[in-house]
Parts: sequence; C-alpha cells; structure tokens
Amino acid sequence: MSEHLMNPIVFEVIRNRLVAITEEMRIALQSVSGSPTVTEASDFFTGLFTTDGAVASMGFQVAYHAPVSGAFIRHIKGKPGLTVADGDMFIGNDPYIAALHQNDVQMVAPIFAGDRIVAWAGVEAHETDVGGMDFASWSPKAREIWQEGMRIPCVKLIDRGEMRDDVLDMITTASRLPALLGLDIRAFIATLNVARDRVSELVRRYGADVVTEAMAMVIASTEARMRARLKELPDGQFHAADFLEHDGHTNVLYTLDCRITKRGDTLTLDYGGSSKQSPGFINCTRPGLIGAVCGSVLPTLAWDMPWNQGALTPFEVVAPDGLICTAKFPAPVGSATVETVWVTANATMLALNKLLAASPYRDRAQGLNAGAMATFNMGGINQFGEPFGLHLMDPLAAGAAAWPDKDGVEAGGPITSPVSCIADVEKNEQVVPLFYFHRRLARDTGGAGKYRGGLSAEVSLTLGGIAQAQALIMTHGVEVPNSHGLAGGFPGATIRQTWGKGATSGGRLADGEWQVFPPKPGLMLMTDRDVFAVSWQGGGGYGDPLEREPEAVADDVAAGAVSPEAAETVYGVICGDGLDEAATQARRTALRRERIGDGAQAPERMFQGAPAMWLSDTLFLGQDRRGWHVVSKAGYILCTGSTRWRAGAVAKTSTALPAEYMVRLHDDLAATTYYCPASGTLLSVDVHRRDEKPDDDVVLDLNGLGGSAH
Amino acid sequence: MGFFVGTDVGGTFTDLWVASDDGDVRVFKSPTTADVLGGVLDAVRLAADAYGLSFEAFCAGIARFGHGTTVGLNALLTGNAAPTVVLTTRGFGDTLEIGRLRRQTSGLNETEWTDAKLRNRIPPLVPRRRIVEIDERIDANGKVIAPLDEVQTREALRALRGQGIEAIAVCTLWATVNPVHERRLRELIEAELPGTFVSLSHEISPGVGEYARMSTTAANAALGPLAGRYLTSLESRLRQAGMRVPVLMMTCAGGVLPTTILNDRPAYALFSGPAGGVMGSRATGAQIGIDNILTMDVGGTSFDVGVIVSGKPIMRSEISVAGADIRVLSIDVESIGAGGGSIASVEFGELRVGPRSAGANPGPACYGRGGTAPTSTDADLVLGVLDPDNFIGGRMRLDLAAAQRAIADKIATPLGMSVMEAAWGIRQILDSKMADLLRRMTIERGYDPREFMLLANGGAGPSHAWVLAEELGLDGFIVPAAATAQSAYGTGNSDIGFTAERPAYVRVSPKAQPTPEQLARVADALAAAVKEVRDNLVLASPQAPPAIVRSVAVRFRGQTHHLDVTVEGEAFDLATFADVTRRFETQYETLFGRGAAFSSAGYELLSVRAMGTAALTPPTVATKGTPLVPHSSRQVVFRDPKQARDTAIYRTTFPQAGATAEGPAIIEFPGQSVVVPPGAKAVADTFGNLHVTLGRKP
Repeated sequence: MSEHLMNPIVFEVIRNRLVAITEEMRIALQSVSGSPTVTEASDFFTGLFTTDGAVASMGFQVAYHAPVSGAFIRHIKGKPGLTVADGDMFIGNDPYIAALHQNDVQMVAPIFAGDRIVAWAGVEAHETDVGGMDFASWSPKAREIWQEGMRIPCVKLIDRGEMRDDVLDMITTASRLPALLGLDIRAFIATLNVARDRVSELVRRYGADVVTEAMAMVIASTEARMRARLKELPDGQFHAADFLEHDGHTNVLYTLDCRITKRGDTLTLDYGGSSKQSPGFINCTRPGLIGAVCGSVLPTLAWDMPWNQGALTPFEVVAPDGLICTAKFPAPVGSATVETVWVTANATMLALNKLLAASPYRDRAQGLNAGAMATFNMGGINQFGEPFGLHLMDPLAAGAAAWPDKDGVEAGGPITSPVSCIADVEKNEQVVPLFYFHRRLARDTGGAGKYRGGLSAEVSLTLGGIAQAQALIMTHGVEVPNSHGLAGGFPGATIRQTWGKGATSGGRLADGEWQVFPPKPGLMLMTDRDVFAVSWQGGGGYGDPLEREPEAVADDVAAGAVSPEAAETVYGVICGDGLDEAATQARRTALRRERIGDGAQAPERMFQGAPAMWLSDTLFLGQDRRGWHVVSKAGYILCTGSTRWRAGAVAKTSTALPAEYMVRLHDDLAATTYYCPASGTLLSVDVHRRDEKPDDDVVLDLNGLGGSAH
Repeated sequence: MGFFVGTDVGGTFTDLWVASDDGDVRVFKSPTTADVLGGVLDAVRLAADAYGLSFEAFCAGIARFGHGTTVGLNALLTGNAAPTVVLTTRGFGDTLEIGRLRRQTSGLNETEWTDAKLRNRIPPLVPRRRIVEIDERIDANGKVIAPLDEVQTREALRALRGQGIEAIAVCTLWATVNPVHERRLRELIEAELPGTFVSLSHEISPGVGEYARMSTTAANAALGPLAGRYLTSLESRLRQAGMRVPVLMMTCAGGVLPTTILNDRPAYALFSGPAGGVMGSRATGAQIGIDNILTMDVGGTSFDVGVIVSGKPIMRSEISVAGADIRVLSIDVESIGAGGGSIASVEFGELRVGPRSAGANPGPACYGRGGTAPTSTDADLVLGVLDPDNFIGGRMRLDLAAAQRAIADKIATPLGMSVMEAAWGIRQILDSKMADLLRRMTIERGYDPREFMLLANGGAGPSHAWVLAEELGLDGFIVPAAATAQSAYGTGNSDIGFTAERPAYVRVSPKAQPTPEQLARVADALAAAVKEVRDNLVLASPQAPPAIVRSVAVRFRGQTHHLDVTVEGEAFDLATFADVTRRFETQYETLFGRGAAFSSAGYELLSVRAMGTAALTPPTVATKGTPLVPHSSRQVVFRDPKQARDTAIYRTTFPQAGATAEGPAIIEFPGQSVVVPPGAKAVADTFGNLHVTLGRKP
C-alpha cells in the first residue's frame, strides 16, 4: 500500500498535515455550530489522538480540554463489553469520567485502517444548556451532581455510521434548548467526519505504520523540547496559592495551593495544600485538575513548541482525592470551568511564572492574565417569542498581565485559550434580548506596576425587546484579586458587579436604587427597568509602580486608563495639565519614606560583587566568601545561604488596599508588601490568608547552582 | 495605435502590461518609487519607449488604463495614513481597542498563536485619544432611544480644530438600520470642520457588527485624503499628457471602478493586488474557455491561492488588514508563509521550513547579501531548477556554492543526509504545505480540485506547480503569458464592478413563514442595493448595460456563519423565500455533507447584496512569439535526489503558438522558470499561455 518509510521529510510533511487537519476540524465545527460560545468565543476543542488517548495535534482554543478527550478515549477502550467498530462515534460529558463540567459535551471517533484503529479524533464544545434545575445548567444551590445538567457517561451515538436517533432524542430532550444542542451535535459529527476523511487519506498515502509512528514522533518531539526547557530552569521549590470565594451557599474562602518541585528535566505539581471539596457547584473533578495543569503549562512553558501530550509528559501531578480540585462523587461541579479549574490554573501559572522569573527566560515571567471569568446567564422568552438561553461571553475581556518590559494588553483576556473572542454589541442586541449602555475599558483596573497590567473591559446593560427574564449572576474574584502581579507588581482590580433597580426607562438611564453585588447573588428576576453593570479583573502588574516612567503614567492619565487620583496614590505621579516632574519626584520620595522611614544604614549588608543570577527585576543572587546572598537591586543583602529573603525585607500587612487600587479583599484575606530596607523598592505583593504568613515562594537549590548561574 | 494598459504597484516593482491594437502584448517592470506615482509614470515611459513613441503620444493612444496599488495598504501598515478621528456612540469608544479580543492576535501565524508575548503587536487603527463619543443611541429596530445631542457634538468638533485632523470616520450603533444620526453628523462636521474627509459607516460598510464596521470606516477615512490625492494626481498627469480615458482602479471585489467613484471609498481598493491576480487568471481562463480555476502565486514570502468557480471568484465579506477586521467584499485570497525566501532549519533533529522568511534582505544564502540561512530558493538552485547565471533574466547572479554551503551546514550535516537529499526535502515540505492550502480552499468547501485548472503565477509558481498538480491529482497546469505580472494583467482585463449591501434581518421560526412585513423588508433592501449599484455604474459610463446579481445572506437560526444565496428576479415574496431556503440547504449540504442541513432550526436572513458588472471590450491578443528551441541542458533533480536528470533548458520571453517542449525540461522566462517534469509536455497556445500536461507518474 505504501512506498514510504519514515524519514525527517516524511515526518515533517505528516506533522504539518496533522496540524492542517486540526484546523479543518475547527472550521467545520465553527461553520455548523449554532452556539455563540463556539462560533464567537471559541469555547471548544478539536484534536487528534493516538490509540492510547495521547493528544498528537490540537487547535488553539480551550487548552484545558486536551487531556479530557484523551481520558474519554481511554475510558472507552477500557470499558468491558464495549466494542468499537469502524464508523462509531461516542458522546459523553460526565465529569466523573472525562469532562470539566457537564456543559462540555464531547464526541470522539476511532479512525480505522482496515480492522485496526490508527488514531482517534475528538471534539468538545460548551453547550449553553444540558438540563438540570436551573437554565444554563449552573445551579448555585445544587448540593449533589444529580441536580445539575444531565450526565452522559459514554454513549455510542453513531453505530457503524448509523445515527441512533432515539439516543439523540433522549439527549436533546434533556436540554431547554434542544434545537441548539441538536445543531451542535451535527457540528460534532461533521467535525469528526472531516478528521476521519483526512486522516484516512494520509493513511492511504503513507501507510498506517508510518502515520502512527509520525504521531508518536510528534509527541516525542515536543517532550524532548519540554525536557530541554526544564533543564534550562533552576532546580528548587516554588509555591503559589490562589483563592476562590463563595461556593453558592456561603461566602467561604477556598485555597488552591500549588507547590512545584523542579529537578532536572522533571517537574512535580503538588496540590495537597488546597482546601477540601465544597458542598457547592464550584468543585472540579480530577479531569478538571489535569485540564487546568495542561491549560497552564502550555502557554506558560510551551510557547514555542507544537502543543500536544509531549509537553505534559515531564510533569507529575500529586493531589489526594477529596480536594476542591479532586472532588469525590457525588459533589456538584457545574461551574467548575470558571471556578476551581480557572483558579487552579491561576495558582499553577503563578508558580510557574515565579520559576521563569528566576531563569534565563525571566523576560517572559508575568503575573496573571484574566484571573476570573464572571458569569451572566439569562433565560426566558426572547424578543422573537422563542425560549432562549444566553451565556454572555463578554467577561472574557478581562485585562492581561504586564511583562517585564511592556504593559499588559487592555481587555487581553485569558492566555489559556489563545484565540478567544467576544461578539459585537450589535450582534448580541440583534439576536438576544439585551440592550447595552456601554462596553468600554474600565479605568484604574489594570494592576499597578513598573509595567501596568491591561485594563479590563466593563459593560452595563438591560433587557431589550422583552419585559423580563431570569438572570444568573455569579463569579469569584469579587473579593479575591486573582490577577496577581509579579516582582512587586500589584494585582489587577477585583470584579465589581452592580445592580440598578429601576435604573432605566425606555433605554435611557434613570435614577434607580443601586447596590453592589456580592460574588454570587445567583438567580434573580430581571426586568427592562433594571440595569446590570460589571467590570472584570484587570491584568497583574509587573515591578514597583514607583518605578514606572512618569511620562507613561501621564499618558495613561491623558488616555483615561488611570485616574489622576490613582496616579498620585499608586504611582506617585502628579498630573495636573500634564506631568509635574518636580511634584512627582517629591511625592515619590515621600512614598518611599512611608515605606521604610529613613532607610537602613548597614554597611555590612551591602553587597559588593556583581549579580550572578537575577530572581526578578528587583532581586538577584550574589556570591562572596560568606556564600550566596539574595540581594536587592540597591545592593542590600536580604538573606544569606538560602533564597528565603522575605525575613530580611521590610514587610507591611494590611487587610484593605487604598480605594484607587480597586481591589477588595475577602474577610479572610490580607495583602503583605515587602520593601528593600535600603531603597524602599517594592519587592513583592503577596495576597494570603489573614491567619497565615506568606510563604518563601522561591527556594532555589543553591548547591545545584554551581556554575549554572547566569 | 490604441493601447490597453494594466498597471500594478507592488512592493518592489511596478508592473505594466500592455496590449496594442495589433494584438502585440508586452510586460514592463520599473522599480516602485517612494511616492508610487513616479514608478507608475516610469513604467508608462518604458512602454512608450518600447513602442518608439513619446510619453504624450503613448498616453493619447491609451484605450483603457487599469490600475492597482498597495498605497493604501502600506499607509495603514506603516501608520502613515491621514490623522483621523472616530465619532461613535457614547459608551462604545473603545470598540477599536477592544477589537472583540481578535485584534491582539490578528496577523499571528500558526507558530506564533501559542506565544502570548507576541500579542498586540499592531496598535488600533485609531488611538483612544482620537475617539470622540457622541450622546445618541438607536436600537436594533432603528428606534431613536437617545436623540443626537447637537450641542455636545458641535462642541466636540470645535475642540478638534487646529489639531491637523484630516479625516473623520462616523460609526454609531445601528446606523445601518437607521442612518439618521450619521447623516446629521456629516452635516455638523461639514459645518464645523469644513474640508474634512468624512466617511459614514452605513455607507462604507453597511453590515451589522460595530467592530468591523468601525474598522472599515476608520481605515476608509484615514486613506481618503491620501488615496484621493494620489489618484487625482495620477489621473491628471496622464490626462495632461493626452490620455482620454479615466483611470480604472482594481477593487478588492475584482471589478474596476473609475477614480470618481473610488475617491470616497478607498477601502474598497485596499487589496487590489491579490484581487488583480485572480482577475488576471479569470481573464486568462476566459481566453481559453476554462471557468473553474485554481490560481496560485508564489512570491518571496507567501503563497497565495484564489478559487474561481464557473467564472466567479470565491469571495469573502471580511479581510484582516493592519490587525483590524475590514469588512469589504473581497476576492478570497488565502495566504500562507511559504515562498522562495522561506527558511529551512533543523531543530531537535527535525526539518522545518517556513513560515519564517529571509525576505529580500538578506534574502536566500545564494543572493550573497550576507544571508546564511538556507531557503527554498537555495534548494531550487542546488536541485538545478534555477540557473545561477539566468535569474530574473540574468539581472542577478546566484551563488551556488553559498546555497550548497548553507544547506550542507544547517540541514544536511545535522540530519546525516546528502545536500541533494536535504534540498529535495526542503522542497517537499514546502510543496506539501502549499498543497495543504490548496486542499483547504477546495475539498473543504465541497469542490473537487480535479475539476479545476491550476494557473501558476508569480516568480516561483511555475517551478512548484507540477508537484502541486500531482499532489492534487490534476492532469496539468497552465502558466499564463503574463504570469509574472498577473495583477497588472488583471487590472487591464477586468469589467467594471460595483457591489452594494444592505442589512435586512428576518428571523423565521421552525415551520413558520416570513410575514408580509418581513418579506417587504428584504424586498426594500434589495431594491435599495440595486439602485445604489445602478447609480454608481452609470457614473462609470459603461459600454454595455449592467448585469446585476442579487443575493441574500442566509443561515440556520442560531448559527453565526451564513451562506450567500442568489435571488432570481426582482421580487421577494413567499415563493422567492422558499426558493432561497431550498437552495441554501443544497449549498449547505454541498459544504457540510448530505444530511447536515437542519431545517428544523428555522432560518435567519441577515442582509442582501447586489453585485453589478458592466462589461468592457476586451483587448484582442494575437501572439507574435518565438519558437521554443533548446538553449542548453543541465542536471536537475525531479523526484529522486540521488538521480538528477539531464534536462533541456529553453529560454523565451513569449512562446509562439504551438511551440512545444517535452519533459524533462525547464523553460526560462525573465523572472520565472517553468518546470516540465519527465513525461510531461508543455505546449504554448495562441495567446502565449503555456499548457503543461503531466504524463503518468513513472
């Protein structure tokens, strides 16, 4: 059948072809799907898998999902009594088997060459409604998974090419939006057909052995790149925690704790310090945890490699069952993706970025992008008299984090799904009963820093064309600044959700009764007299805000990105009619004095040598006859013999930040700032539980450092 | 003597194609100048000289002057467009910056998507400080919710005085449904800032969706003063010299328009180069009676593909320019980073080719300009496809040793293969990427590539075409006579074309029928679009009555992607609706497979379009070429890098009708080499097009 043998050229041709097929799958899905979450927001996944469920090629949409379809494929293979035939397609969405949450419906299909399976194709998309006690299948009051959307464990929907219409009916009947779900299932089938046709062509041309070998090589190739990358990073322990408030029932604070041990070309992620599982719908199951790891590792460490299973092989995940990120049956998990999965990824990415900051790649270390995605769901009868369900994707437009050499992107959105996108206001108003008062960038939301985090967008809206509907409003990140900064950068603003009762009439704003919402007000009736206004989290800042170029701050003030008040309080920059340089200098001196008084005078603590290796913009490692020191940029020795430098810095803990930061802290949270005792430079902003002290988050293996310092 | 002239300004060269009354066809190339105009006039002078005429005498003889230019595109890309302000609805001033989150990743290639640090490379078309929010609001039904605040508007406009603002783009929400505020804003601008170039979104890009509409309007406004000045001075220079016909500009949609119509709508001509190329291929097809065409163009950095079905280019309603979504009807030309300058490298023991390009500077290693990275051109040189002494007609000498060294050091040695094998590998990888794009443009859209003729254009197109034809299972390919100046040829051989669009949103529930009011909405929109087309085509003084094709954008209820379905006749009644939805489903199933249609979802009609064309008399072309006689021979690698074949080399500028070359052969034109593999045969037709028929694969 085939004249080909594997060689570097055949490999590269097949590799490119696999990438092209994944892209064709995306186009097929987006063309046929009827879900705005798919067609506009790109909340979906397409991929090609090896026979053991390792992803060989994937699209650039929601990276969280890559390992989930693989788990589904392994489940099918391991299921006793289930035969897999050519032409079969399976559907499933059970988080206790393989799904992030029930809305993420997926289908997989084997690809046969003769009587042998050579590969699998997988596709997944967020479906707006899959049944359950509340529309859109997110039920803040749920206490067990049966109250949430239907679970499809692992069902053969297409049997040897024949659609099982009765099964399809059963699935769509469970949804409040059967036509939409039906259209999307057709889109899944079209997508898998494209994958099957194209891969089969490849097999006809090159032979099954060459194609399967190429798929294995694609994965091995990325694994080699990832191991090489890990070797370039310093050995040691790195730690980060992020938090999640309100479980749907009570405003409890949950911790997602990520402890990294990096040694040679392997890396262990230990989540054992995380909170126990919750009684509400914010949990995720183990597939969610693995998805979060995948979504974190790929954009943070694999930015220049083909994305596939190989990027994940060097990583070991440690987490006992029963945590909020490894919830045990029958815990509810309906909102897992925007709650625990998202926050787990936050903690993981923050820890990985601390590792990057202490590596030759420190120019790529950043805080967190879009640390939360708030939810605004609506259901009822739309302006056309039809039942409708809406899952607003605008909240993707949160701010992106700053870099060590440039500001974050305004409304940059998450980096875990590289091609996310939001719909036009007009497109939304045309087909759903919404009317916007504004959709714009929100001032002062970007995390303060030498480089500023990107601003978040904000919207204000009411109903359009209908008198009332049910609204579901929920998020985390109202009292937790999830979009942490790095190297002295502040977190971006927390989410602010407000509700104006009677605040509009006939599309014009009116005096209403305004209230600020807690994180999860939940289900409520909305009328065309009510206004919902929300701004999301800005991106994390990088470096000390007092080191930001005064001109850059003045430009931000002129452009409306930063208020004059925040310029003064946060950046120490005085802008009247333009930048006042003298006043700025005086203000910054005063602010530094507030931080450290007159400054430490300790000649023995001043380091004389050259930096051996930078830990961030403001800290470096230096070595002299006394050993290794962590030294501030000003030359002040913070600690000796380890990288546990926090004890040597000036620390200030507070339970609230000045209003200009637009950061609200949960009752159980505090923020501690660390300053260089000599210069007053801000070294780190740590958000932590009030009853705990911030950890020494970067503990390098100094023995292993030897000559590898750079 | 009369001359049909087509001109196209590229980044490096300004091409001029000319056919004289007696059928004699020539191509001239002159370096593009910084002011663009100079390069065009230089090319015209070259042509005049070649005919032994003065500039004035040549201009006086011009019977048609087609023109394409990337002036606008370059101005946008380099931020050199006119200082522009955007007026928009209060609350939506950050629309361009937010860019639906798409702007930040726009322009990234497939290996860059994964790198978040590369995002936001291109700033918004208009910065925040040049956005003015106006107090007004209209809703989706066209109802005025907040009236236009004229006092606030006038104040805001007066504040702009003295700031050097040359253009204003007006884009308010739902102006497409009710343009009353945009129209009034134009009057206020004319009163407060007379002389400013104004673009209204509902006129320039009347589609629902404010981001693309605002981008398009902003781009149009920013280009207006510039394009107007350029086109006016080009036309007046040529007219002063004696030209009696208008300059006809190539539009993105493939028709040409006189400058009088285009001056207000420069965005319509943003992508005239690629459109001209496809229209050139269409004209070539028309000459020889082929109307299903795959056009390909291989340049230094990119591989461009267009598809023509039954004589009509496949269109798209939106293109991405300078990081922004620009919604103007355009010929769909897809592009990937694969060209002569594509760099080959070995990483982790794997051979990669492109999308990185060595560009023109330093260029391929064989250019001898300091480039050390091996490229596709270096591979072609090593394989014998290119002659080091006859590159671009001998105007540039290629360094074979440098190419061999680059491939040996960077590819062959690390992979443990011979230099020939490595060079062949580079070609195979690049060619397979090109074939992937051709598949995506055909098979994925429900077309069988074997029902198409492949037309190979651009410098390197004719040397890659045989592999691509084999990959797609085609019998052969054609190298058009004007393959190296196909865009210029296209501008000189296109009909007048104008397209108008109107929104018309109609939602039909499952098993329901549209109401009379809904039908009237579509009919009215169609009538308005047709009227706009007629009014503009009259201005273009066509030689024949215009042909107008009406279409309506249809989708299943809830979908985002739509299909354009043609509407027969003038009316739009229940029967028309039934006919449109039936044909929509047929088109849909062609694309997505039998059984994919889902009529129980209901339908949405979104907008209507009228495409008008008015035919222009085509030039007559009669060849006066030379016979093909072997010039020399050399060793060339075709399929087996271990066994180069002794290959006949032909040189020609214009082959005579019936001239034939049997493969293995290479036919060298100034600027391109047509590769005729073993077993294949090339025959020239009466127009100078080379038809290469592939033999059975040995």
